[in-house]
Amino acid sequence: MKSSYRGVILLALILFASIVCTQYTVNMYFAQRYMEVLLLSGATVVLFPLAWMVLRKDQRDRREQGK
Amino acid sequence: MENEKNRPIPLKDDNYTHNINRSNERSLDRRSFMKTMVGAAGLFAASTLPWGALAAKELMSSSSKSYPTQKIANLSDIKPGDAIEFNYPGEHDSALFVYVKEKEYKAYQNACTHLRCPVFWDRDEKELLCPCHHGKFDIATGKPLAGPPRRPLPEIVLQEKDGAVYAVGVKRYEEQL
Repeated sequence: MKSSYRGVILLALILFASIVCTQYTVNMYFAQRYMEVLLLSGATVVLFPLAWMVLRKDQRDRREQGK
Repeated sequence: MENEKNRPIPLKDDNYTHNINRSNERSLDRRSFMKTMVGAAGLFAASTLPWGALAAKELMSSSSKSYPTQKIANLSDIKPGDAIEFNYPGEHDSALFVYVKEKEYKAYQNACTHLRCPVFWDRDEKELLCPCHHGKFDIATGKPLAGPPRRPLPEIVLQEKDGAVYAVGVKRYEEQL
């Protein structure tokens, strides 16, 4: 796989996970399963800095490659 | 026919809609696309925080949760097949009591679990019906039978005393699933 696709695919996966976690957070809240709500909303919050790091790494890699 | 030389704008450039690619104004490059994805992830993260806060609040207060006892109706005043709307546990929580048949009655919070439309008792079909998107619920269990809702209606715990029915609590979802 070309290295230039790695960041995009990783970010797409992270975004997909964010969407799924957000959906389940709301569902679990209405199902009154509050512990799961806390875990899922925590997971969504953790995914954001992860996405940020993937973006920064991708930009750094491309700069090093001179693109 | 109009003379090409007399046109103030040459024919090939005379359009209002097909210049988007030419001026490159709509192109989304790789970096912008990735930034948009990170921004969306941030938006999702921020949007879950209020739910987390509400859940934490519920977890901290759940041990002290108690429900009032509220009279719904005298059984002698209603006939099998009747339904009564009432508010329980709070004054803004709409609920529906259904006298299904002799010695059998049920009560549910009557906000549809899809988009919270009010749910009605369909006497002929013996089902609870949400008219917004034709969601249907089983009267015996509160579970969804048709339409978009996926979660059961929260059931209200009933108690019969001296010929009258009282609401005494709301079942948690785990007890119903």
